[in-house]
Amino acid sequence: MEYSVLGKKVRRVDGAAKVTGQAKYTVDMALPGMLAGKLLRSPHPHARIVSIDASAAKALPGVAAVITAEDTLKLTFGNWRRYPHLLDEHPLAPDKVRFIGDEIAAVAAADEDTAEEALTLIEVEYEILPAVFDPVEAMQDGAPQIHTGPNVRNNVSETRHIEFGDVDAAFRACDRIREDDFSLHAVSHAAMEPHASLAQTDTDGRLTIWTSTQVPYYVQILLAHTLGMPEGKIRVIRPHVGGGWGGKIELFKDQYCAARLSQITGKPVKIVYTREEEFSCTRRRTPMKYHLKTGYMKDGTLVAKEARAVLDGGAYNAMGPTALYLTGFFQMFPYDIPNYRYDGFHVYTNKNPSSAMRGFGGPQAEFTCDSQLDMIAADLGMDPAELRLRNLMKPGHEIKGYCKVASCGIEECIRKAMKSTGWKKKRGNLQFGRGIGMGCYGFMSGGVFNWINTPYAFSAAMIRMSVDGFAEVYVGSAEIGQGSDTVMAQIAAETLGIPMDMIRVTSGDTAVCPPDLGAWGSRQTLMTGNAVKMAAEDVKKQVLEAASGMMEQNIVYSYDMRDGKVFVKERPDRTIPYQDAVKAAVRARGGLQIVGRGLYTPHGKGMVSPAFSFGAQVSEVDVDVETGKVSMVNVTTAHDCGQVINELGVEGQLEGAFVMGQGYVLSENLATDDGKVLNPSFVDYKVMRAPDVPLNFTSLMVETYEPEGPYGAKEAGEGLTNPNAGCIANAIYDAVGVRIYDMPITPEKILAALEEKKAAAGKKKPGKKPAARKPRKPARPAKKTRK
Amino acid sequence: MNRMMISFMLNGRRIETSVAPKTTLVELLREHLGMTGTKHACDSGACGSCTVSVGGRTVNSCSVLAVQIDGMEVGTVEGLAEGPDLHPLQEAFLDHGGLQCGFCTPGMLMSARDLLRRNPSPSAQEAREAIAGNICRCTGYVKIVESILAAAGKMREKK
Amino acid sequence: MKDFEYIRARSVDHALEVLAEKGESAVKIAGGQSLLNILKQGLMAPDCLVDIKGLEELDFIESNPGTGFRIGALTTHASILDSEVLQSSCGVLASMERHLATVQVRNWGTIGGNLCMADPSSDAAPVLIALGSTAHIRGPEGAREVPLGEFFLGYYETVVQPGELLTEISFPAIPPATGVSYEKFRNVEGDAPIVVSSAFVSLEKDGRTLSDARVVLGGVASTPVRATAVEDALKGVKLTPAAVESASGLVAESTSPIPDVVCSAEYRNKIARVLAKRTLLSAFEEAKAAVGGKKHR
Ligand SMILES: Cc1cc2nc3c(=O)[nH]c(=O)nc-3n(C[C@H](O)[C@H](O)[C@H](O)COP(=O)(O)OP(=O)(O)OC[C@H]3O[C@@H](n4cnc5c(N)ncnc54)[C@H](O)[C@@H]3O)c2cc1C
Ligand code: FES
Ligand code: FES
Repeated sequence: MEYSVLGKKVRRVDGAAKVTGQAKYTVDMALPGMLAGKLLRSPHPHARIVSIDASAAKALPGVAAVITAEDTLKLTFGNWRRYPHLLDEHPLAPDKVRFIGDEIAAVAAADEDTAEEALTLIEVEYEILPAVFDPVEAMQDGAPQIHTGPNVRNNVSETRHIEFGDVDAAFRACDRIREDDFSLHAVSHAAMEPHASLAQTDTDGRLTIWTSTQVPYYVQILLAHTLGMPEGKIRVIRPHVGGGWGGKIELFKDQYCAARLSQITGKPVKIVYTREEEFSCTRRRTPMKYHLKTGYMKDGTLVAKEARAVLDGGAYNAMGPTALYLTGFFQMFPYDIPNYRYDGFHVYTNKNPSSAMRGFGGPQAEFTCDSQLDMIAADLGMDPAELRLRNLMKPGHEIKGYCKVASCGIEECIRKAMKSTGWKKKRGNLQFGRGIGMGCYGFMSGGVFNWINTPYAFSAAMIRMSVDGFAEVYVGSAEIGQGSDTVMAQIAAETLGIPMDMIRVTSGDTAVCPPDLGAWGSRQTLMTGNAVKMAAEDVKKQVLEAASGMMEQNIVYSYDMRDGKVFVKERPDRTIPYQDAVKAAVRARGGLQIVGRGLYTPHGKGMVSPAFSFGAQVSEVDVDVETGKVSMVNVTTAHDCGQVINELGVEGQLEGAFVMGQGYVLSENLATDDGKVLNPSFVDYKVMRAPDVPLNFTSLMVETYEPEGPYGAKEAGEGLTNPNAGCIANAIYDAVGVRIYDMPITPEKILAALEEKKAAAGKKKPGKKPAARKPRKPARPAKKTRK
Repeated sequence: MNRMMISFMLNGRRIETSVAPKTTLVELLREHLGMTGTKHACDSGACGSCTVSVGGRTVNSCSVLAVQIDGMEVGTVEGLAEGPDLHPLQEAFLDHGGLQCGFCTPGMLMSARDLLRRNPSPSAQEAREAIAGNICRCTGYVKIVESILAAAGKMREKK
Repeated sequence: MKDFEYIRARSVDHALEVLAEKGESAVKIAGGQSLLNILKQGLMAPDCLVDIKGLEELDFIESNPGTGFRIGALTTHASILDSEVLQSSCGVLASMERHLATVQVRNWGTIGGNLCMADPSSDAAPVLIALGSTAHIRGPEGAREVPLGEFFLGYYETVVQPGELLTEISFPAIPPATGVSYEKFRNVEGDAPIVVSSAFVSLEKDGRTLSDARVVLGGVASTPVRATAVEDALKGVKLTPAAVESASGLVAESTSPIPDVVCSAEYRNKIARVLAKRTLLSAFEEAKAAVGGKKHR
């Protein structure tokens, strides 16, 4: 079917406000009499708080309030309402600090300078405790215990096990086995807008908070919990948000402290994190140590896989346990491996907490998976693309008890990417120093996770239509730059058959919009999109009912709306302006405005996601063999996101995801020493800049129809963060023949590997490659540390 | 606290105000004058989100003291559009997807305008280098460069 | 940032007067691109800032065929980059400036500020040293000149005293039969260098034998350093890629890098060797072309 607005390149609905500087972000907001808030943070990675004396700070002129744990309910909180044993964080540390940056107290003062000065006057006496920074060390007996509790043993806060098929039998029966170890580092979300909140408490005790968040509803209910207030008294407003990527999907201390300080002072309180706080005290991508074992046949069929991951969780669980699950889950994507086992360990360390970040465990998994697949291909003398093609999931793929994959365009993605890049000609045949590599992925399109334990639908929408035909769409989804408001406007416009400029989307105000789980897990297009479609259909039904009364056609005919008209489906030339039908509908109901409602919750879709997106990524790189520096030459990505809603949005998401992934592999590294972040600034933390990105970036759309998605649509823009590390690592291998197992892949590591290779070549005779092991040899002894 | 009077042109309008010497230009614009179009993301000259023009050339307003621009002309994103008409760069960013979250956009637009004033027909590589001081975490820069080149084309046509 | 008194200098003399009066409590600010970050981090908390940015008498670029080049300390990086005189007769400076920092920093930051900051990985210092520059300094006792190679004392430390100003940089016209080159290594663009190298090569009449060389490296010690062992090994030698390659192996005799969050000390040395080689070879090519009269600068 030819759509009128879907699948087109449309301008963002929030674009005009943003290019003129009119768009207000939380950091831009101000209220009369507003106070500035600042947080006191631990300078120690691990210490017991012996005493806190805030009297001098409170006495400083200009200081309105100082709060410590004593001013809180001392409740733990987090997104894990369904799994309370995972709740391990307090709004302000009551007894112990667990990382450099752990929040201890907060100040509200007339201005930032005064607030900062007050922080220096708070006297905290610490008893320094031994700290541990490496997750494997933290798992050993005798390591410092960061959290105690019935569910924590040797700093392991959570374990996950995934298993299907008969893994051991499959390993015994396969031709060959490869085992490799990989390690993955921490990176920062580094959203351009820092975490920021402005809270105001009215005289009747109602709280309004404007905050930079991906999850307004979570903030509302978690504030209610931590402040001991009814949810109904809290209103969370999400102004324009300057980026999130998973770094803003929880309740944070700026939100809690601004709220609490506004309650105590009766004044609006604004807290904005500095860039240094952003890098050193907020969440980060989970570092992991991976052991991967894959069994395969000589013809390239993958038959068994076993993965073991140890996650450096940092000081608190945050959303790490979900990354723990998803990294194990997406390790097998997009391949059909009948026998799979995963064991993951989420381990506390005295560093800033690891949490959700674009890809949510996927980038780590795919780096190891894609790297190893290329090693297997090399072992078999096979084209790595052919190896992948041989083992792909197909539409309808089911993993019993876990998920069902309906639409799946991965094969077409690979073929398209190969064709477009001239893969067959290039791979293995480029001059030394230039190489081409592939990475593939499958990713969720909305999580079936209800950790937050809400009784509401995952997404809901409400549409009001006024008599002049304009539609107001209310959704709880969070526009954070990814373009969800535009997608919702398009879906509403398409369904109602009216132009986009007659739609206004209001999102992210909990007092006005229905609850929605928010922007994470690539869920807004599919889940909120379904709710919007349903709400629009509800509106349409009411309009068409009225139209049918007005048009007095043969009762066997039916009606639809398009191009601003109601028409008779069987006689499309018979039309009336839809506004006339709207007016009639309103009159017929005594003046009640037309309101449509819709909702979406996945049912019977397994426990991971109602749908999966897929893609193949091909990168061409140049490696400077004297310095080890990698430059991107060409990048091609082929992506199956179901029906494209906004082509401009999808392309932009893919490009952005790629470049973030490029930084993850080549330059970004949130480095710590004894728990202290060493590079907490954009000077020292190296994100990609415009001249670093490939000059040629090709996005190829592979459109499938996803039955569970609105108009067949699914995820775009998170999944593509996943294959880049492996893809670039494989291209580097193709270019210069070295394989890097620990991320990031810096010039220094490449150069060292090149030198090592040269030295080895000098010693050994060329010819025999180190062969993969035969399975009969005793498998690697199982680690004793499993609990 | 000592304060100093300064007087300067902001988007063609004269501003006279008193500031503490340590106030940076971005603080003056955002906090004192309420001109929040200019963003403030790193406070160290490294991200370009605070880019404005001073005396016709771009600077990071977080790395310039307000007292230093006394007597000069300052331009911000709010002065880009002429009346109701958007600047061709603004139009191009909308048409070509040159923005997502929009937080880098004001600075990006100022840098792009600086480029097109000096070089009306930039190559893609020149456009990339011209915005090397502006970090965008969302777009991967591809569509920003496309937008700049498209705007340059439109502006050349007009002339 | 702590409050401070702000004084805008009207002239060099005025600046020196104020500096004399305020003593060590005063700090000069030019573009402030580096200084403000230092103040914001609380690494310095002066009582008084003396603003020299507006001193037009120190904002100039001059080229005299006989005596060479003079660049005022308050000249911005952008002015140097855009200078047609320099582009045509000292292209290496323009190519250095094109890669120095970002447009915004170049538009407001000054060459004098860059040198006085004495960041060991400055892009500008190695090139200017390779060009044989002299720093002109004025203070209460009058003017003095210091070869730029002796200007830097250590991390963020120069010979310029608190009461003094760097007023200009001068360097001789580039002699015939010479070449100068520059290369910067960094992992992402828009970034300060990890290592930077600049080489000056002058050749005998044969167009092959090296008569003199200066190889200056940044990012490998507390100050820019001359790779004297490399230079010495090549003096009087007929240059070939192999000769340059092997001499470049001696860089480590002059460097003393320290490991940091970016990379190890050894890696800096490896890069220094590669850059020394590359800059020597390209300076050699340029010099050869100059001897052959094929290319003007
Ligand atoms: C984001 C960023 C990226 C950068 N990247 C690079 C890069 O890639 N390569 C590079 O080389 N540099 C880089 N820099 C440094 C930049 O070149 C310098 O900051 C700039 O040139 C300094 O000039 P300024 O006029 O702003 O000096 P200021 O910051 O004003 O002064 C710096 C110091 O010099 C002193 N000073 C200034 N002028 C004089 C004078 N005439 N006499 C005596 N003392 C004086 C000041 O007191 C101060 O101590 C970067 C800086 C930033 C912020
Ligand atoms: S805020 Fe000024 S450059 Fe980042
Ligand atoms: S659009 Fe978000 S940072 Fe550029």
